[in-house]
Amino acid sequence: MTKPAKWGLWGSGLVLLILIPYLLQSTPASFCIRIAGIAGLYMLLALGLNVVIGFVGLLDLGFMAFYAIGSYTAAILSIQKVPFVWCVLASMLASCLIRILIGFPALRLRGDYLAVVTLGFGEVVRLVATNWDALTNGPKGLPRVGQSIRPASLFGFELTSNLHYYYLILACVLAAVWVCERLNHSRVGRAWVAIREDEVAAELMGVEVTRQKVVAFGLSAAFAGLAGAIFAHWEGFVTPESFTFWESVLLVCAVVLGGMGSIPGVILGTLCIVLVPEILRSVLGSYFANARYLLFGLSLILMAIYRPQGLWPSKRRTHELKPTEAGEDHARETLYDAERK
Amino acid sequence: MTILKRSGWLGLAALVLAGCAPKEKVVRIAVALPVTGDIAALGQGINRACQMALEDAHAKGFFKDFKVEAKLFDDRSDPREAVSVANRIISDPSMVAVVGHFNSGCTIPASQVYARAHLPMITPAASNPRLTLQQMEPDWKYPRNIFRVNTTDDVQGPYGADYAVKTLKARRVAIIHDKTAYGQGVAEEFKKRLVALGGVALSFDGVTVADKDFNALLTKIRDANPQLVYWGGDYAGGGLIVRQARGSDIKVPIVLSEANLDPEYLRVAGKSAEGTYITFLGAPASVLPSAREFVKRYEARYPGDELKAYDHWGYEAMSIIVDLIHEVGPDREKILASLPKIKHEGVLGVTQFDEKGDTLNKTITIFQVKDGKFVPLK
Amino acid sequence: MILQQLINGLTLGSLYALIALGYTMVYGVLLMINFAHSEIFMCGAFVSLLCYVRFSAFMPPAQAFLAGIMLSFAVCALLAFLIERIAYRPLRRASRLAPLISAIGVSILLQNAVFLWISDQSLAYPHAFEIKHFEWLGARFNSLQLLILGIAFVLMITLHFFVNKTRLGTAIRATAQDATTASLMGIPVNSIIAITFFIGGALGGVAGALNGMYYGSIKYNMGFMPGTKAFTAAVLGGIGNIPGAMWGGIILGVLEAMVAGFIPNGSDWKDVIAFLVLLIILLFKPDGLFGKHVPDKV
Repeated sequence: MTKPAKWGLWGSGLVLLILIPYLLQSTPASFCIRIAGIAGLYMLLALGLNVVIGFVGLLDLGFMAFYAIGSYTAAILSIQKVPFVWCVLASMLASCLIRILIGFPALRLRGDYLAVVTLGFGEVVRLVATNWDALTNGPKGLPRVGQSIRPASLFGFELTSNLHYYYLILACVLAAVWVCERLNHSRVGRAWVAIREDEVAAELMGVEVTRQKVVAFGLSAAFAGLAGAIFAHWEGFVTPESFTFWESVLLVCAVVLGGMGSIPGVILGTLCIVLVPEILRSVLGSYFANARYLLFGLSLILMAIYRPQGLWPSKRRTHELKPTEAGEDHARETLYDAERK
Repeated sequence: MTILKRSGWLGLAALVLAGCAPKEKVVRIAVALPVTGDIAALGQGINRACQMALEDAHAKGFFKDFKVEAKLFDDRSDPREAVSVANRIISDPSMVAVVGHFNSGCTIPASQVYARAHLPMITPAASNPRLTLQQMEPDWKYPRNIFRVNTTDDVQGPYGADYAVKTLKARRVAIIHDKTAYGQGVAEEFKKRLVALGGVALSFDGVTVADKDFNALLTKIRDANPQLVYWGGDYAGGGLIVRQARGSDIKVPIVLSEANLDPEYLRVAGKSAEGTYITFLGAPASVLPSAREFVKRYEARYPGDELKAYDHWGYEAMSIIVDLIHEVGPDREKILASLPKIKHEGVLGVTQFDEKGDTLNKTITIFQVKDGKFVPLK
Repeated sequence: MILQQLINGLTLGSLYALIALGYTMVYGVLLMINFAHSEIFMCGAFVSLLCYVRFSAFMPPAQAFLAGIMLSFAVCALLAFLIERIAYRPLRRASRLAPLISAIGVSILLQNAVFLWISDQSLAYPHAFEIKHFEWLGARFNSLQLLILGIAFVLMITLHFFVNKTRLGTAIRATAQDATTASLMGIPVNSIIAITFFIGGALGGVAGALNGMYYGSIKYNMGFMPGTKAFTAAVLGGIGNIPGAMWGGIILGVLEAMVAGFIPNGSDWKDVIAFLVLLIILLFKPDGLFGKHVPDKV
């Protein structure tokens, strides 16, 4: 596709994204704005996770922890009447710092051990949020009785409706995409790819592996912190229930299903994870509500088997993951075929 | 024009006119409950009761110019889902009222969404005091739209403590809760009253019900020699706690909060449930004379479905709404304005709301499990 | 008091150990985290309950329960085998995340299958035996705990013997150590992998049955918590290491019991402490307590 045509396509897509919710506002379909907003938040999270899983190649099973840290930080500060922008910055900073602190010692771990550490940390954060009543009010959630999270206000404009938050989230997602794209095509991005492919070789070639991993961790946590702060102000209510291990797992699915390392893929993957249950719900009706999870599970299995490179893979990934030609298959059958890198 | 052609045109005109005639107005009441998830059985029961209330209203010929439907929404006991459901409900202009939700943790955030849309909401079960208290705060900018037909935890918890100290003569109590907004809330109310009456809370522990293993905690409690154990939480945890407590050789009386008054509790706890006490908000259907009729009709209408603990509240909440629709018409604002002033006579006796939106009906009944059945005391 | 909590912890820990064995064996031969294992555990509980209910119509309860356990042993072994065949084998040559996603899919599938077709509520597990209370050196425990400890112990000893003293066991260890060389030595690696899943599944199934009987209630989502904990126990002991998984499970169980029993409000915090211990151990001994460090190939 020629460049002007591409610009035209993206441009008109953007216009639609801006206009349609505005038009839908007073119709019975206005709840779609909220769904779109939620999808947007998940996209922010998935983009962050993509930096770690897709670009650097490390498996992270506890990403929700940083979403939680971001949300609670923003909630606590907002209850103390700190303005929105400062809350956001504080959330991003808190998530970033904690991520780097935890990530540092974990960097020595081999792939699957790292996965377990992240899982453990995710659970620890959720459990601390549930039990540390003094800070987080435990399962009763923030805000406490008599307090409230102030509505977000940006440059004097108060965000009160779903539509306002939708636009804010849209802007953040676009910014995040832009940041990821730029990084992908920069030295940092190439360093990440090198680390993903072969860490030892990368180190030997002069890539500062530890430093780049830390940058990746920090960036992903910043995205999560931002999403968390927006979530806290939008919902007005933060409970530990929203940050379970299962949510982290779903995020990993979104990234892998969409295509690891591929930004449009991740966006598509997230849309699927958020929208498919909704669509199935309206198609199948309330009583078949849980059949949609069954179908979801089935589709995960099928996707993994038949299209492991994801729905919209990055070109690099496709070459890596496509199974070898049929002729070669036969020759290799006799050897142990479970061998993989 | 031949006669055939003319009649053909007339027929067509008639059809067009019929099509243009205003469609019958449809009015909807949202029923927002957890019909899947841990307490799905309770939600499904309330839904059945609501359906019955609507059918009764239709049978009485209440609605002439419009149709009234109840639409079920599942909030899965998840606060975020509850808010999504609330958004979906308010974007539908035919909705005039909401019966729901069930979990306090879901009802509170959802109620804020309904408030913004001026949609009246009556909850049949959410018992956390904060739900209605939030309407009294100075920065609550919306009309008061939150009502409930059941009693609250700040009545139930202290009542349990009163019973423990005064009737069961227990002053040293070990308290356990399930770390949910409801369970911890009611346990805290119990503890406040216990201490105020001069009792001692030997321990105040939260457990993760998903863990299922409470033996370590229970053996620790047993060794502290309590005179009573109190459980704040629902039947999933309650059944397990009671079973393991007796298994750990704890012989003292156990008092549980109202969400345990369910056949499921009896099944899970088995023989260990015998002799345990359960505080219950309001008087249950089997006790109220006005409700006995309801129980009979429910059993006839839904053979094979057990009557669950909250069903008659669901019925009452729905009846209040349909009665109001009949009186003032299907209009959100009118219903909202009339709700505070109602005096409804129904299966719960007389229901009136105070200025917070809580029912004036603050009775609590204590049940005991005898021979595998719930028997009300007093 | 310590003895008391030790017994509680051992019982809990042996259940974790049985589940952890499934995770560790699969990881040892395939380098893959079998997410679906927690659902196999759950299926074991359901199979044994359904059998028990059927059989107790014409058998004394104790026998019906034992029959239930044996059936869950067999059915879960078969289930694990099928899962490997259908969802993991086609992905042998894919990246390491593809089988993981597939495993997550299987997990969701199994949970919801039980939800839709068996029950979405907790099912009560009736007492099969009269529970007798004993006292020994100040610790009070009951016959159910003894039964669980007994069965788990027997199974673990059998597995240990099997893996270390039989030819098949040696083949499994060989495959776990270096699959290519093992296949060159004539070991039918695919069959070995299938057998590994078989054994892991069987153990998980029995753990599910025991768990159901011990706690008295089962539910479609009961696999998640014990599964996650058992998985961390397996990592604690060094994933891929069979005795490590057994010890990891027991240590975790005892640790939880000790924290719940002795630290004020320990019940609230026992999960946090369990995970924190895991994190600390991994940070200082990255391969777990008994894992061997395999250097990355250059």
